[in-house]
Amino acid sequence: MLNDIFVAPFVDMFAAPDFLMQVLWEGLVSGILYALIALGFVLIYRSSRIFNFAQGIMVVFAALTLVGLHAMGVPAWICILLTLGVMFVLAVVIERVVLRPLVGQPDIILFMATIGITLFLIGLGEIIFGGENKVMITEELGIPTGSVLLEPFGGLLILEQKDITAVIVAALLVVGLLIFLNKTRMGRAIRALGDDHQAALSVGISLQTIWVLVWFIAGIIALVTGIAWGARAGVSFALEVIAYKALPVLMLGGLESITGAIIGGLMIGMLEKLFEIYWGQPLLGGNTETWFAFVLALIVLLFRPQGLFGERIIERV
Amino acid sequence: MKQFARLAAAAVVASLGAGAAIAEGLYTPNLSYRTGPFAATGIPLMNGQADYMAMLNARDGGIGGAMIDFEECETGYSTEKGVECYEKTKGKAIVTQPWSTGITLQVLPKTNVDEIPILAPGYGFSPMADGKVFQWAFNIPAGYWDAADMIVQYIEGQGSLDGKKIVFLHLDHPFGKEPLPLMESLAEQKGFELVPVPVGLKEMQNQSAQWLQIRRERPDYVVMWGWGAMNAGAITEAVKTKFPMENMLGVWWAGHDADLKIVGEDGKGYKSISWSFPNADAPVMADIKTHVVDAGNSQSNEEEMSGVFYSRGIIISAILGEGIATAQKHFDTAEIDPGQLRWGLENINMTEERISELGLDGMVPPFSTSCSNHTGHSGGWMLEWDGEKFVKVSDLLTANVDNYAELIASSASEYADANAPWPVNEDCEG
Repeated sequence: MLNDIFVAPFVDMFAAPDFLMQVLWEGLVSGILYALIALGFVLIYRSSRIFNFAQGIMVVFAALTLVGLHAMGVPAWICILLTLGVMFVLAVVIERVVLRPLVGQPDIILFMATIGITLFLIGLGEIIFGGENKVMITEELGIPTGSVLLEPFGGLLILEQKDITAVIVAALLVVGLLIFLNKTRMGRAIRALGDDHQAALSVGISLQTIWVLVWFIAGIIALVTGIAWGARAGVSFALEVIAYKALPVLMLGGLESITGAIIGGLMIGMLEKLFEIYWGQPLLGGNTETWFAFVLALIVLLFRPQGLFGERIIERV
Repeated sequence: MKQFARLAAAAVVASLGAGAAIAEGLYTPNLSYRTGPFAATGIPLMNGQADYMAMLNARDGGIGGAMIDFEECETGYSTEKGVECYEKTKGKAIVTQPWSTGITLQVLPKTNVDEIPILAPGYGFSPMADGKVFQWAFNIPAGYWDAADMIVQYIEGQGSLDGKKIVFLHLDHPFGKEPLPLMESLAEQKGFELVPVPVGLKEMQNQSAQWLQIRRERPDYVVMWGWGAMNAGAITEAVKTKFPMENMLGVWWAGHDADLKIVGEDGKGYKSISWSFPNADAPVMADIKTHVVDAGNSQSNEEEMSGVFYSRGIIISAILGEGIATAQKHFDTAEIDPGQLRWGLENINMTEERISELGLDGMVPPFSTSCSNHTGHSGGWMLEWDGEKFVKVSDLLTANVDNYAELIASSASEYADANAPWPVNEDCEG
């Protein structure tokens, strides 16, 4: 038994390094997409203290809007612009109709409101687009669909071109977001609001504008995530469950930390794949990805309740 | 505002009135799932079911003079919601159609007390075939163990299975685990190595870990017990990992046209066992078009109607319709009760002639049921994806039921013992 846990997995890794590279690549692709979804959560939480339960359905809604518009004969790149427009309108409507009337209410009320938004978007999406699985317009968007076959160590490493594209686009989006948050006036306003609500308001930062902005950014993230996941297995309401994979990322990285979301996503993506392949499948019958990330996050929380990169909460009583 | 309130009130009253008008006739609720992660596979099935019943109502005035009150209760494939739907509809229902193995297992003991037949065509608990023990449950016309046996038979037709390796890729859910006992037994008998690979509900669209395992195991075949978004996820990964598609075979719920259209040409060679097949030239299709589609009462569309799942929905309703007609004839009454429908479902004799009379030519194999045989064991055809649609690539395959009759009997008896006191049908001679 000890051999199976401490020796055999590492022997396997060294015996087939090409396979290990494949496992790490698949983990990296999953991880960067988890990080993207987690970023959507973090941005909204930082600026408004709202845990946005609707992030998952926003991924579905954005992807469905994109393929739905294309099915109506709209050219692919125009569909992207129109979908961004829809996500902007959604951000404005959410701010005006849901969030503004709830300013000053306890966090749990705002959280419940996002559950309401989720249910509303599920119903609206089903009425407009139907529940059928739809094909993502991968080729129409110019995303390459072939594979790159490499032969490291005399073995085989398959890199899907759409996965490579997803990693590059996600990385660019993350870098762009970091530049926006750190170098622009609006970005600094979002961070200021996250750091101290009252102080930010007192220097003239508009709560309404910032909320629309962060929900719109979350919408952009949702669209990119929806394209990347949709290109893998179609666009359907099943995509919503992918968002739940971001929960352990947030627990691990910290709900307020952008760095935490990125590193947490990558860590969970790669570690859950390594564990599943080298320990989960041989020793536990597989399907450990369902729980591994949560257990890992719980272990981290035992030692750092604020997550790896979260801010320590000190409340004086 | 007042006007809006009045309009809303009027709408509610009108809908209640409409509901009351529809409520007359034989109430056959369907615990449907047009929403949630499995909606993509549910919608065409539900549409086929609903359109067939609507066609019978429009063309024949129902069945035997009684209109069919076919109502859907949405479960989203959630077992909890399914049980709620069952409780909500059981009062006047003559049948319940639970539409998930999880829901079927939950309502199975309840239907024994409520004395309502469960109709679970091609799903549910395989030992339900034993009608003496499961007197209120039917999985007509074939069960999961039939499917597993036919798939293994088909693979064996390509050469001996001795020393071969078969990966069993399945949803980590009661549905996915259902054929495992038989697959394990067949592995022992035929000398192949069985490698079960579960897919969690949250991993359906991200099966890279499962397919890395498959790459490492280097199996000769992959048998897939997939459902909903799992199918498209698996087929996409199979294409990505260059697994030979002709060596990948699925159960009938993993043979949905829309899932294969995602990979198109790359999915050529993928196979799925099926007890139903679309036939655009069958008279029933023309009748549905005339009486339902042209009348604007269908939720389906031309593309969906040409697919395997829509036609399977038609067959499912046709099986229920045949059970109702058989009972009406025997008891000489149009308004049958659940007990009489049970008798009807136990005495279906779907011969080639009867299939033709119903306008279902080529869409379902012949089968018959009895009080001891609640499945019918119709057999099925192996279908193959040709890049655009599914085509038949085998003659009718029939499951070697004798080989696992003992397993059915022992599993049924085990279930009855575990749920004692469990009433069995002592009058059934076999």
